[in-house]
Amino acid sequence: MNTLPLLLYAAAGVAYAIHFARRDSTVGRAATTLLLFGALVHTFVIGMQTMEVRHLPFANFSRAVSSFVWLLTLSYLYLELTTDERSMGVFILPVIIGLQLIPVLHPGVERADPVLDSPWFWVHVSSLLFAYASFALAGVLGVTYMLQFKEIKKKHLGYFYTRLPSLQILDIMNSRAVTVGLVFLTFGVIVGAVWTAQARTIAPDDPNLRAMSIDDPKIFVALLTWGVYSFAIFARRTWGWTGRRAAWLSSLGFAFAMVNFLAINYFVTTSHTFY
Amino acid sequence: MHLFLLGVSHRTAPVDLRERLDFSSRDLTAAAGAIATKPSMSEAVVLSTCNRSELYVATTDPACAREELVSFISEYHHVSAPTFQPHLFALENSAAVAHLFRVAAGLDSLVVGEPQILGQVKDAYQTSASTRCVGPVLSNVFRWSFGVGKRVRTETALGEGAVSVSYAAVALARKIFGRLGGHRVLVVGAGEISSLTAQHLRTQGVGEIVITSRTHAHAEELAAVVGGLAVPWDSMTNALGAADIVITATGSQRPIITRAQLEAAQGHRRGTPLFIIDIAVPRDVDPAVGEIEQVFLYNIDDLQIIVEENLSRRAAEVERAESIVNDEVTKFMTWQRSRSAVPTVVALRQRFESIRRSELQRLEGKLGPLTPETRARVDEVTRLIVEKLLLEPTEQLKALPDEETQAAYTEAVNRLFRLQDQDASEPSKRS
Repeated sequence: MNTLPLLLYAAAGVAYAIHFARRDSTVGRAATTLLLFGALVHTFVIGMQTMEVRHLPFANFSRAVSSFVWLLTLSYLYLELTTDERSMGVFILPVIIGLQLIPVLHPGVERADPVLDSPWFWVHVSSLLFAYASFALAGVLGVTYMLQFKEIKKKHLGYFYTRLPSLQILDIMNSRAVTVGLVFLTFGVIVGAVWTAQARTIAPDDPNLRAMSIDDPKIFVALLTWGVYSFAIFARRTWGWTGRRAAWLSSLGFAFAMVNFLAINYFVTTSHTFY
Repeated sequence: MHLFLLGVSHRTAPVDLRERLDFSSRDLTAAAGAIATKPSMSEAVVLSTCNRSELYVATTDPACAREELVSFISEYHHVSAPTFQPHLFALENSAAVAHLFRVAAGLDSLVVGEPQILGQVKDAYQTSASTRCVGPVLSNVFRWSFGVGKRVRTETALGEGAVSVSYAAVALARKIFGRLGGHRVLVVGAGEISSLTAQHLRTQGVGEIVITSRTHAHAEELAAVVGGLAVPWDSMTNALGAADIVITATGSQRPIITRAQLEAAQGHRRGTPLFIIDIAVPRDVDPAVGEIEQVFLYNIDDLQIIVEENLSRRAAEVERAESIVNDEVTKFMTWQRSRSAVPTVVALRQRFESIRRSELQRLEGKLGPLTPETRARVDEVTRLIVEKLLLEPTEQLKALPDEETQAAYTEAVNRLFRLQDQDASEPSKRS
């Protein structure tokens, strides 16, 4: 079911790459259309899954990744359509395509755990997935900022100089994406904590819930990620850490977020394993 | 009818002669009107820029048109013909079409790919069109040339990258700051390049331009030119703290902006980028300034390297642009030939149609008893037969490869079907 969106994303990815290399606006428009179409089909897939399990398809690792990809695509499309700037596509599409491979290759089965049957849980997961999507955008913006910065600073105006938007625009978009991401991360973590406290009263013996503490790698890295982004915003406001420093911090934060979302969930954590 | 072009350009004539033959400073419409009313010519467009004066005309006799144009230029500019004749170039039909397309594409410009020329070609055409000095010949070729100019600009990088130091500086500023609206500029020392750069920045909509110079009068002069504000020399450090773009061009032998000075000023900036363009030789800004995180320092050599790189990048695109021009010339000539086949095709159709009608008329007696529906069917069938018979010859006539073949075919068709006898008032002709 996730294959069709993947194929459309892949086609859009190829179109974005051609658009970036040749700077052909017709191909660029085709890329956006393909991505919009992919997002539409993906919306339909998620809608179907929601109807099937009667809640948003988050409680299975693959489906959570698929939902994350969907949110990331929508966030990117929002960014592209509001700024009329397509050159980010070639950087964000590999993330979208790579992550969408997970639900295609390992569809998994969603088990409805009665513990999860709380609106708090869904708010918690939606907020965090949206925060990660914002961080992904900020991370990509940070990487492109550094590529562009290096060329201008070193006076070797080349490939990226002619293709990427201006440094200031990249910096502003990065700052916005980090702020939005941090708001949702904070909200998501607080809601998670509230829900855990509530759920423990319902199911005191659930191993997942018992493992919810700062010692758990998943929660620890989430707080670390929160620390990185809070520091990025604090440093920007206080010491004027804009530009390359902000770009670097947002890339670091995104690396933490992805390790937490993908690797730690899979291998390490004892909490957050509801599937 | 032939397309004929006579003119001088930077490739054929020195600047003093081009100045003497310049039409743009005088009434262009009058010149075009005067040419178009010459006996051998029916249409005229005068394209006159600082690099070229070119006269495009539609004529029945190019040799005669050339003579008339030479004497016209001589009289109009009060320059004796032998003075400019060796510098003239003359082109006809497809060669003239190719030349116009190359000009519109920016391939014939002094700075290859410069953007103004397409607008100048459009203006020249509009000027003639407004006084009805253009007809089908020039109208078609000029309108086509606008498309060629646009195609070359969108499909190649011929017009990309700044090719002057001041534009290169502005392009860099845009790459650092995005839109320049609201950004503050500080000009230290008034010189030609700093003045040009400040003017370009002004057209990009920068906020405030502050100018300072050791000689305050110079600062005030430049401030008047670019619409800026002249401030005393000793308030430079303050101005430095407030500026986003700094242009330095003083004659100082020692750096006037040091790292320590700038770091002190940067304290208030809170990480906003600063772009410094140091045009002075020897340099006005200590190179160590460029090591500060959010400072982008470019000196005159850096900018010149960018300009040279852009020029060589444009040169690399010339081949692609030329092939687009050639492609368009072929398309245009084919289209024109297909259009010139139209009168023959029309005459042929009329001939067939009149035969069909007269045969139906002749058979009126025999067709009389038929019902109206059957008669309509007979009419339809005969019409379809004629259509089918003419389909292939029409396509073939429109697709003939060159004018000679077309003349031969037209002649043959005229004779085979006695077209000229049949419709003597509208003989088939080629334009």
